[in-house]
Amino acid sequence: MLNEPALEGLLEESQDLHADAMRETRRALQRLAELHHDVPLDLPDPDHIEAINTERQETQSRVATSLAGAGLLTAGIATGLLGVIASPAHADKPMDIQILQTATSLELLAVATYEAALGLPFIANGNPVVKKFAEETMKQHGEHRMAFAAQTKTLGGKEQTQPNAKYLAVVEQTKPSLAGPADVVKLAATLEEVATDTYLKNLALLDDSDSKALMASVMGVECQHLAVLRAVGALVAGGDAGIALIAIPTDAAKLPAAAGSVAFPAPFEEPNMASPPEEGAVK
Amino acid sequence: MNNEPIPTTDGPGAGSTRRGFLTLLGVGAAGAALAACSNSPAPTTAAAGGSAPPSSGSSTTSTKAMGGSSAPTTAGGSNGDLDTAAFAASLEVLAVGTYGAALDAATAGKLGDVPPAVAEFATTAKSQHQAALDKWNGVLTSAGKPAVTQPPAKLKATVDGEFAKVTDVKGAAGLALMLEQIAAATYLKAIPTLRSKDAIELAGSINVVDAQHVAVLLFVLGMYPVPDVFAKTDKAASPS
Repeated sequence: MLNEPALEGLLEESQDLHADAMRETRRALQRLAELHHDVPLDLPDPDHIEAINTERQETQSRVATSLAGAGLLTAGIATGLLGVIASPAHADKPMDIQILQTATSLELLAVATYEAALGLPFIANGNPVVKKFAEETMKQHGEHRMAFAAQTKTLGGKEQTQPNAKYLAVVEQTKPSLAGPADVVKLAATLEEVATDTYLKNLALLDDSDSKALMASVMGVECQHLAVLRAVGALVAGGDAGIALIAIPTDAAKLPAAAGSVAFPAPFEEPNMASPPEEGAVK
Repeated sequence: MNNEPIPTTDGPGAGSTRRGFLTLLGVGAAGAALAACSNSPAPTTAAAGGSAPPSSGSSTTSTKAMGGSSAPTTAGGSNGDLDTAAFAASLEVLAVGTYGAALDAATAGKLGDVPPAVAEFATTAKSQHQAALDKWNGVLTSAGKPAVTQPPAKLKATVDGEFAKVTDVKGAAGLALMLEQIAAATYLKAIPTLRSKDAIELAGSINVVDAQHVAVLLFVLGMYPVPDVFAKTDKAASPS
């Protein structure tokens, strides 16, 4: 026999629950509408993107709290809403294109710098492994440049054909004072660190997955260039004995202890030398 | 009791009816579908054989994070990010344990003469992997998840099997190289799938150091230290 009073009680309870859900949902939808940001006509400012994402995170937290209070956090609508709010603001193609153009500019400069280094007599006629490293690294940077340029075009951007102006000035200013391998290694290490840090920093700003995968894979090689240059720099500082160990294969037994750690001075790379997205953008 | 009318798809102002409530269950299902419809497979990064730059294989960022149950964002971002953090932490547990075992074996004289640079490398790498583990566990515990203390079981079994064959420094360095290549590739593969900026930066910053470990190990083992034009993901591990 149907228990009418109990059924009515359950219906009333379900209606209350539904009304609570609709109230919270309307508030959340209203907040979501407020979060809609028109795509700017100008190239987006990274701070603007960060502000949007921070605002989304705060909104999501507030919405989650109020939905949880209404016992709705596991409900389908709540899940969907939180998911939509959690979606990062679209960094947008213009930002991605800027980032890729800046990366291209750094690769162009790297190629030119290694080429210049190979023209110096103490590199061209010096330690063969150092020379080989300069040659191979120059080629690798050339491939990186092509990949970044191609990806720029894929996203509809214009290829950057000029070396990074900021660091070109640094290279040009440094060139006259390059007196030996140590100076070249130091300059090259600076450029590799700028590249590593720039790609690391910009990974989080890229929207396009393919661009992100590409940048990460190039970062994974630039940082190895940097590691090698740090190690080579330490060995060069050891004079002839150290320079003799710059060989493949090396005599591992004779390597100084510091050779085992100088290449990675910290457990996490801090992108302190990162170039901002717009630095090498095509104007 | 709340007397607010419950709208239905049957028409305006339907009022408080059981039919209206049941209709709205359909709206709830649509909400779940909204979350589920974006749960497309996470992009994979193709192995960059030779000079071919990698591709994520998809124009969408990973939606493993959407998973139908996105948690409010924390330092670790969505649940997908937290899953990645947990797996990354387990790999770091493995790395710390393996370097520890190698150092113990070296101290016990089981590897023969150990060059100072190699000892320095192992000590440094172990401490850096420990730092990485601590960071990931910090992300996890901040999000209310338990800290990871165990390595991936299958990979541990593989490493243990290889370690049992190690009799000298060269063998130990070779094993370390394998581990570091796996770690670097795994982070590389994960990066395009991460949603949280913090998670991307952390994974990237660790990937850099692991890749640098690889370069030095290659050099110590008599190989060219930067053989690849583009870093590869073919050695990436995945949760089993």
